[in-house]
Amino acid sequence: MPNEYYVLIVGYIFGFYMAWNIGANDVANAMASSVGAKAITIRQAIFLAGILNILGAVFIGSHVTNTIRKGIVSTEVLTDPHLALIGALSALLAAAFWVSFATWKSLPVSTTHSIVGSMIGFGIMAGGFSVINWTKLAAVVMSWVISPVFSIVIAFFMFKIIIKLILSKEDTFIHALKLSPFFIGATFFVVVLSFLFKTPLGKKLALGPYASFLVAFILAVSFGLAGMKALRWFIKKREGGAETIFRRIQVGTACYVALAQGANDVANAIGPLAVIYFLVKTGGVGATVPVPVFLLLFGGIGIACGIGMAGHRVMETMGKKITALSNTRGFCVEFAAATTVLVASKMGLPVSTTHAAVGGVLGVGLARGLEAVNFSIVFKIMLYWVLTVPAAAVTSMVIFKILQFLL
Amino acid sequence: MRVPFFKMFMTSPFEGLQEHAEKVMECAWAFQQAMECYFADKCKTFEEFRQEVAQIESQADAIKRRIRGHIPKRTMMPISNFLVFRYLREQDQVLDAMEDSLDWISYRSESRIPRELEKDFALLVDAVIDPIEQLSGLVVEARLYFKKFSEKQRVVVKNIIHTLRRQEHEADNYEDIIKKKVFNMEVDAVTIFYLVRLAETIGSIADHAQNAGDMMRAMLAK
Repeated sequence: MPNEYYVLIVGYIFGFYMAWNIGANDVANAMASSVGAKAITIRQAIFLAGILNILGAVFIGSHVTNTIRKGIVSTEVLTDPHLALIGALSALLAAAFWVSFATWKSLPVSTTHSIVGSMIGFGIMAGGFSVINWTKLAAVVMSWVISPVFSIVIAFFMFKIIIKLILSKEDTFIHALKLSPFFIGATFFVVVLSFLFKTPLGKKLALGPYASFLVAFILAVSFGLAGMKALRWFIKKREGGAETIFRRIQVGTACYVALAQGANDVANAIGPLAVIYFLVKTGGVGATVPVPVFLLLFGGIGIACGIGMAGHRVMETMGKKITALSNTRGFCVEFAAATTVLVASKMGLPVSTTHAAVGGVLGVGLARGLEAVNFSIVFKIMLYWVLTVPAAAVTSMVIFKILQFLL
Repeated sequence: MRVPFFKMFMTSPFEGLQEHAEKVMECAWAFQQAMECYFADKCKTFEEFRQEVAQIESQADAIKRRIRGHIPKRTMMPISNFLVFRYLREQDQVLDAMEDSLDWISYRSESRIPRELEKDFALLVDAVIDPIEQLSGLVVEARLYFKKFSEKQRVVVKNIIHTLRRQEHEADNYEDIIKKKVFNMEVDAVTIFYLVRLAETIGSIADHAQNAGDMMRAMLAK
């Protein structure tokens, strides 16, 4: 049926648009602190973020997507392929509209929450309120609160550790250098673990959880020590103290955030697209669908395009705005955000990179690390947590009705 | 494109405090010139310096208002915003006291300080300038502490506060000497009132500098 191919094309367009939005908006969260702390230039940031988002999307991004994200809506609404097709398309459109509206109005919303909301809207239209799994929904709502809190806690303790062991010492340079394997290693540990769990690459290696931990640990230690050697080699001037060391380490953490972002956010753009793709190709759909690698690549490229086109402008403003963030602070923010996002996405929780990044900044602020942080953003974010889901859901419902009439 | 993430980062009030402290320092210099001129025999530039002090004071006032206007209720800082406001208030009163002293003199510009008190007044003025010099370094050093949280830097800041306290005490002594002498002089009551009030106003410069130091001490509390 050619009609379905049109749907697929529209799906591609809006999937790409969604990915573009993620790239344009969220790149700031990933690279802001590094650019602000002058660890990397804007050009380098855009290049790194683009490449690493693609890598994260393709290699760590989940290759199996739940047809309805996180099982909030029961799969019985998908028994009619025609209805499912319309539903997936309207969910994608609704999320894309809501995200671009939010971008226009500069509201702190999450792409993840938008897609969850629009899926709920479709579920209600297709099967009524009974198909919504309220306990699951409650769990998801909890995870939105938990992820920033998790990020706050990591950033808080990371910064306290840095104060205690490095900054408060006489010679911060030498202490930072001595402890650098720990910071580099911790980053590698999480990255390697997320590679090993739930990715095709990890499956091929077929390591048990203990073996995975061991491998990750060994790799982390060796990379950490190698990193220290490299730092010792590269940095000759020690006037800047700990900050010069962390400036180099921050290049790594910026990459870490970009990688985590690609892995986490690609599903927001191409999750519904994968459903459409599957329906068009096979005519039916189960509880989960495999996501072809080329779709992940497609999403990754979409994000990279968004970064490339809008990144420059975003980063220019932020480079000026967040001069307050020194390298040690920036490291804590990025480390906390990326760790939260990677761990949560591996646990299957829909978290927002923006919220994780905000949590990181607040964590450092609570540890008395920043001279002034505007706390009111937290209340704004909470308000939009509450607003995003219904708004996306209602939009999705309206689009669903229109599409049902048209197709 | 406006990104909500950046809305979290705001201009640090410490920057303003530092700017304000620099204004205080600038003002102190003009104040000293004015006082020296007043002590000298034939002074013509006193009024000029008094105007300069008034001008710097109003510039500092603008900085003060800017700082106060840019700390919203839900600002997260390493110290409570109450302390920032109190510190700023005391630092600003240093300026006010300098301006008040010169104004007081200008109300009775024909009068001169009796010869036997000239030296004491000169000593008092020098004694209140010293704490102002300390004050200018205070914000800079405190900012460094809030960057590194090292015990050594904390001691540096505490030492400045300690010095402020000592210097205020010295200024108090000079003030007392002047007052004692004034009451033992054979002059009319108006002159006595004038001189005592002048000594007190000049002395209050050091008081406010010390109070600012005390506020900073509260900020350092762990």
